[in-house]
Amino acid sequence: MNLQEFIENFAGQFDETDPEEFSAETKFKDLEEWSSLMALSIIAMVDDEYDVIIKGNDIISSDTIQDLFSIVEKRKS
Amino acid sequence: MSQLTINNVRIAGMSACVPTTVEDNRTLPIYKDENDALKVIASTGIERHHKVDDNTTASDLTVKAVEALLDKMGWEPQDVDCFAYVCTSRDYIAPQTACILQDRLKLRNDCCVFDLPFGCSGWVYGMSIVGSMMSHGTLKRAILVAAETNTRNRNPRDTAVRPLFGDAATATALEYDPEHARPMNFMYGVDGSGYDAVWAPFGGIRQPVTPEALEEKEVSPGVFRRGVDMIVNGMDVFGFAIKQPPRSLKELIATFEIDVESVDLLLLHQANKFIDEKIRKAVKIPAEKTPYCLEEYGNVTSASIPLTMVTRCSEQLAGAEKHCIACGFGVGLAWASMEFYAGDVKMVDVIDY
Repeated sequence: MNLQEFIENFAGQFDETDPEEFSAETKFKDLEEWSSLMALSIIAMVDDEYDVIIKGNDIISSDTIQDLFSIVEKRKS
Repeated sequence: MSQLTINNVRIAGMSACVPTTVEDNRTLPIYKDENDALKVIASTGIERHHKVDDNTTASDLTVKAVEALLDKMGWEPQDVDCFAYVCTSRDYIAPQTACILQDRLKLRNDCCVFDLPFGCSGWVYGMSIVGSMMSHGTLKRAILVAAETNTRNRNPRDTAVRPLFGDAATATALEYDPEHARPMNFMYGVDGSGYDAVWAPFGGIRQPVTPEALEEKEVSPGVFRRGVDMIVNGMDVFGFAIKQPPRSLKELIATFEIDVESVDLLLLHQANKFIDEKIRKAVKIPAEKTPYCLEEYGNVTSASIPLTMVTRCSEQLAGAEKHCIACGFGVGLAWASMEFYAGDVKMVDVIDY
């Protein structure tokens, strides 16, 4: 799994936030555009792209995009 | 894989009853502004739902739906050999609501009646249970009810669920008819590790009602619940719903060698549009063959599939035989898929309560 690609896929779910704003260290829940609906888009993206189902708790326990990437990577291996 | 084929039984009639009070999501007092509400509507497809008052139960809606169905069928209450009540919002902890309904509906004292406490998968499970019992040939006429009052077991201050769930009762008449019935095929699925994705933690035997379980608490910003209220963990349900239902339908299609091109109707539990469209696309059924009623009624759990049939497919089902596949999925977590043919069905227009 490639972190940069994960960040791009993550950023791709957002409509209003500048893609340049996303990095491994982005605290995604602090973004203005973040919402419970956005969480569902992220779950769907991870299923589509990585064939992994992340749970509500995975999102709740993750602060940064890197945190979520690590969970998906671990589950994939 | 647990699978089942039922012969000799057909759907003969259908009806539904909904409360007249409508809550429109655009004007719910839980959003900052209308723009916020429109965002939720855009992603869920749910614009409004029907809601019972504080004195009405699912069984009250059921009585109206069943009486209208019996009338349409030309059946007397004493003609009914089997009556199944799929519902989780039961009248009392005991007895089963089906027993009370036997008396209210004037069904025979030797009628076979029972509750089936399923959620969103309930109509499909119910069809397989009642159909299976009837297929032996001695129970000739049955009524399968799928009913729920979601607005009464969820907290109105729970912003995560209020816009999504509604109330309805549906009744399906089944007939033993070896001459006309085509086989009905079923596949089942369950994952109890997800029991807390949709659940009511207090009020059962493991966690009885206590004064504390009746206290309303703010569990996250803007979301208020009591211990006895139904919790829907949206993210976990979503993760489950985009995965298992497509898999289940694909298993059904493969196991029973269904030609997807020949399918006339894909009938999905009305969870939300985002989820259902993902399922539809995964099994490659065109949009025009996939009816929805969630925009008007929301998610009505086990009543979702039959309510869609009554409100959106009435003409089609009353006409020549249609090839249908259906999938119910949710609380449990439990799911079930089925293939069936339906035609010449006596359809009652949706009734107001």
